[in-house]
Amino acid sequence: MTRIVLLLLALLLSGCGKDRPPAGVLGDPAAGKLALSQYACQACHIIPGVTGSQVYVGRPLADLHKRRFIAGTLPLDQASLVRWIRDPQSVDPHTAMPNMGVSEKDARDMSAYLLSR
Amino acid sequence: MPPGRTRLILKTAILTLLGAGTLAGAGGLAVFFGGWYYVGATKHHFQPVYSLLEQGMHYSVRRNARDIVVPPLGAPAQVLRGAAVYRDNCAQCHGGPGFAQSPIGMSMQPVPGPLVDAGTHWKDRELYWITRHGIKMSGMPAWEYHLSDADIWAAVAFIGTLPGLSAQDYRTITAPAGKVEDGR
Repeated sequence: MTRIVLLLLALLLSGCGKDRPPAGVLGDPAAGKLALSQYACQACHIIPGVTGSQVYVGRPLADLHKRRFIAGTLPLDQASLVRWIRDPQSVDPHTAMPNMGVSEKDARDMSAYLLSR
Repeated sequence: MPPGRTRLILKTAILTLLGAGTLAGAGGLAVFFGGWYYVGATKHHFQPVYSLLEQGMHYSVRRNARDIVVPPLGAPAQVLRGAAVYRDNCAQCHGGPGFAQSPIGMSMQPVPGPLVDAGTHWKDRELYWITRHGIKMSGMPAWEYHLSDADIWAAVAFIGTLPGLSAQDYRTITAPAGKVEDGR
């Protein structure tokens, strides 16, 4: 009985956010979720699990893990995502997304969260 | 219904309400004095709480700004002045075309959002009101005490031009403008 309750609880909790990174993805999704809010990502993007306003200045990040490309040109993988987060202008000089000065570790954790489902 | 029964129902209802009120009050006091409400900026409001506070803020701004008469906005000299005001007073927390806010603005909770979409959420008189009076508990100062009225309107006029402004345009328009003097 206890086991079933625990299982149900686990299922319920797993529905509340993105905490399952795909195989091969490095970093800590939970730390990434917090880092996303400390670099003001939610000021422009709607991010599931991160409290914020209904903003569409940047594109919503809900389905990021399902996309094949990011920033129009980069095939979606963790290394590309980390590069895009840390230095968007190196990918697209005219992008409106500013360089937020994200550290390598924070970018890895953020990407782990965004790539989770 | 016999009077005896009515009295019993009333008595039960009142005692139940009193009991529930006492319990809720005691619970609230325990949370309050126990320090159980977490005030750190590393944990956010629940989304429904955040959305409710934000919506309330919108209604309050709308109501308080409703009688403000908007002066003519958008003359080139005014926009130029607004650009300097923006660069010196707004950009550090809100960022601007092509650049992020400073780490202070970035990590404030709630975050000071970008202003490129301000026009889709607010009318000019509401932006003026927010800039002039600030927003309680959000970190937005009441600029009334630090900027002249003309400069606040100039900032509003400039914010209106943000959607069409590239990073290069922003650098160009803010480059010649001198430092905005502190105060009036």
